[in-house]
Amino acid sequence: MFQLKTGFTALAFGALLLGQPAQAETKSAIDIATIGEPGPLDPVTVTSDLVSIITQHVFETLYAFDGKWEAAPLLASALPTVTDGGTLYTIPLRTGVKFHDGSAMGADDVVASLQRWLRASPRGKLAAPAVDSVAAKDDHTVTIKLKQPFAPLLPLLAFQNGAAAIMPKALAATTDTLKTYIGTGPYKIVEQKPDQYIRMVRFDAYSSPSGAPSGYAGTRKAEIEELRFVPVPNATTRVDGMLAGQYQFADSLPTELAPKFKGQTVAQPIMVKPFAFALLIFNQKTGPMANPTVRQAAQAALAPEDMLLAAFGDPAFFQVEGSIYPKGTPFYDEASVKGYNQHDPKKAEALLKQAGYKGEPIKILTSPQYDFLYKMSLVAQQNLEEAGFKVDLQVLDWATLLSKRGDPAQWDAFFTFHTFVPEPSLITIMNPAYPGWWDTPEKKAALDAFNIETDPSKRVTDWKAIQGLFYAQAPAIKIGEFYSLTAQSKKLAGYTPMEWPFFWNVKLAQ
Amino acid sequence: MTAYLSRRFAGMVVVMLMVAAIVFVIARVVPGDPAAVMLGSNATPADVAALRTQLGLDQPLPVQFALYIRDILSFNLGNSIFLNRPVVDAMLDRAELTGWLTGLSVAIAVLIGVPVGVLAAVKRGTLLDQGVTAVSMLAASLPSFWVGLTLIEYFAVRLGWFPVAGYGNPGAGLGERLHHLVLPAIALGLPNSALIIRFTRTSMLDVLHEDYVRTARAKGLGPWAVIIKHAFRNALIPVLTVIGLTIATLIGGAIVTETVFGLPGVGNLIVSAVLRRDYPVIQGALLIISGLYVLINMAVDLLYAVVDPRVRY
Repeated sequence: MFQLKTGFTALAFGALLLGQPAQAETKSAIDIATIGEPGPLDPVTVTSDLVSIITQHVFETLYAFDGKWEAAPLLASALPTVTDGGTLYTIPLRTGVKFHDGSAMGADDVVASLQRWLRASPRGKLAAPAVDSVAAKDDHTVTIKLKQPFAPLLPLLAFQNGAAAIMPKALAATTDTLKTYIGTGPYKIVEQKPDQYIRMVRFDAYSSPSGAPSGYAGTRKAEIEELRFVPVPNATTRVDGMLAGQYQFADSLPTELAPKFKGQTVAQPIMVKPFAFALLIFNQKTGPMANPTVRQAAQAALAPEDMLLAAFGDPAFFQVEGSIYPKGTPFYDEASVKGYNQHDPKKAEALLKQAGYKGEPIKILTSPQYDFLYKMSLVAQQNLEEAGFKVDLQVLDWATLLSKRGDPAQWDAFFTFHTFVPEPSLITIMNPAYPGWWDTPEKKAALDAFNIETDPSKRVTDWKAIQGLFYAQAPAIKIGEFYSLTAQSKKLAGYTPMEWPFFWNVKLAQ
Repeated sequence: MTAYLSRRFAGMVVVMLMVAAIVFVIARVVPGDPAAVMLGSNATPADVAALRTQLGLDQPLPVQFALYIRDILSFNLGNSIFLNRPVVDAMLDRAELTGWLTGLSVAIAVLIGVPVGVLAAVKRGTLLDQGVTAVSMLAASLPSFWVGLTLIEYFAVRLGWFPVAGYGNPGAGLGERLHHLVLPAIALGLPNSALIIRFTRTSMLDVLHEDYVRTARAKGLGPWAVIIKHAFRNALIPVLTVIGLTIATLIGGAIVTETVFGLPGVGNLIVSAVLRRDYPVIQGALLIISGLYVLINMAVDLLYAVVDPRVRY
């Protein structure tokens, strides 16, 4: 027995001597530390941010957002021609595009992919009721016939989350979650070792769109030969891995660890703006919060500024902002934000009295798995109790929260966050089927008007009306903006900070 | 011996079936849903319900249980919902890492624990003994995540001697992989060595007062010959038990260390499966680990007979 143990020890010391440096072993390979194992890499059915980050290198959509958050051609050769009063989209496709299995992309593949997206993607299902048919006009032209004008169609086709990803017709035949991953992207997946790495290599037959790189659009060049997405669930380890030079990029770092990068020569922190906003969503189907006056009381009671401060500490990482869209974006509006950041317990108390609230416990779901949400929920609990609410704060793991929120009988409010999306109708609370179930006639009419309006300036006006309703009916509380902290190796050049980090057009310095 | 082994194996089957039933119930009693986790926070309840149907999670629990037991009896542990592959494959993927990590940690723990424990017992009451007792108490009390993060900070980030995390790049050889395991093995081995020190010391102290030790000394044997040949061998049984339990615990229980070092081991697999509510992995992994636990205990019992000729089966 002791001989065996001695053998192990000898091997350990041998390992110490033989061990290779932990850094990527060639200059054209990088290790990207992510928050965990993403699971199935189906960009269509799975809407987690991590899956979007990874799969955007492999699968492509017809359009992509540029630096101004406008749709630009990706697999399409031009923006769609919209005719018949906004109900017929004719999309020309690029020629010479190849899938990772070597086959050429044609209109049949695109039609099958769009049909899969319409029936299997949570995003596609938003568009499905408006779509009459998808057809191939010729080998390189696809048409989408709508039942009525639907302005969010183009942004939806450009979105890489719940993406209208184009894949070979045979692969698109299944509605089930994908098991093989064949796209047209600049990288192809060669190996997925769960909880260890996802390895993708440059696709040599890649056909890039033209134009200067801008946001996710424009020319894409796989400068780095190999990308490895490495799950590193512990955030401190992600930071230490960056500082030791083991990773060349790390995602989702806690803001309190930002000072560790001070004076470091190996890596630098990067702030991503805009990134996301935190939400407290109310159950409008049943329970005390189904009463709009009780929701307005909660709106009056809460102190978003205190909540953000508790969650992020340093004001550099958040913005006390009521507008659902941040400053500098077309949909930003200050005027319709009435009722944000009040922290007025007396007004809240009066509203509760008016609503006939009798002290029923308000079941609020929160999760310490997202520390900032948990900290916000503690402040919210105090704010609400000051105003006369009786709060039953339920601290759950994220899986339980996701499961519980589907049953309206089990909760009255839950904390979540929403990453920035360029098209307002993509915000989950706009979907009447999303937990919270904001489905009043006024909202439905306003959203319908917004969705059929194709004139961009009129859409901005329509959006202001919806935001006004958001504050008047208080289906949820927007707590404020927050930014994402990531880090990159100083050897990486050409990286563009975006919500879903991507690594085409990125070089590794010699 | 054959009859003994037969009885132990029969008992093992009963234990495994009980574990299977308990794990199934516990996994289902805990709220949460693998479909909701897989689809992400943007999914609607209707999307989640559709995926539940696709995964067969909408079937009544008794039906799911019957299918699960049927699969177990045909040695099929099912497929991971989240990883999209057989549970056995997912476990086998992690077996190498867990095997090495357990081996290295136990080697460190034993190489430190046994000699230091023996020395502390022999030098009972001296400054050395008191120092060893105090340090081993301290080592046993240190949280493994703290030890891990401290080792990373000094030996990986500042000195750059070891990698921070992971199990090596694709295609890494055994040397590189073991290099990744040195710090985690130390983080796991140190607290366990403290336990072995204390058991070895206590066990040795009991034995050193026995008449046969006095006799051995009286007949003129050298002090270390008495300690090693006569005392230590007889003191070994409780120590073996602790080592056996340490191995069994490390197989699935190095969760915190694996998380801190980003190691794709068995513990990590189980924790991830629990967070994702990946029922087949939770069930399969716990079943395999409980089987190994029983086997290791059985092996330790058999080793008693090797160490102590009085023990017969």
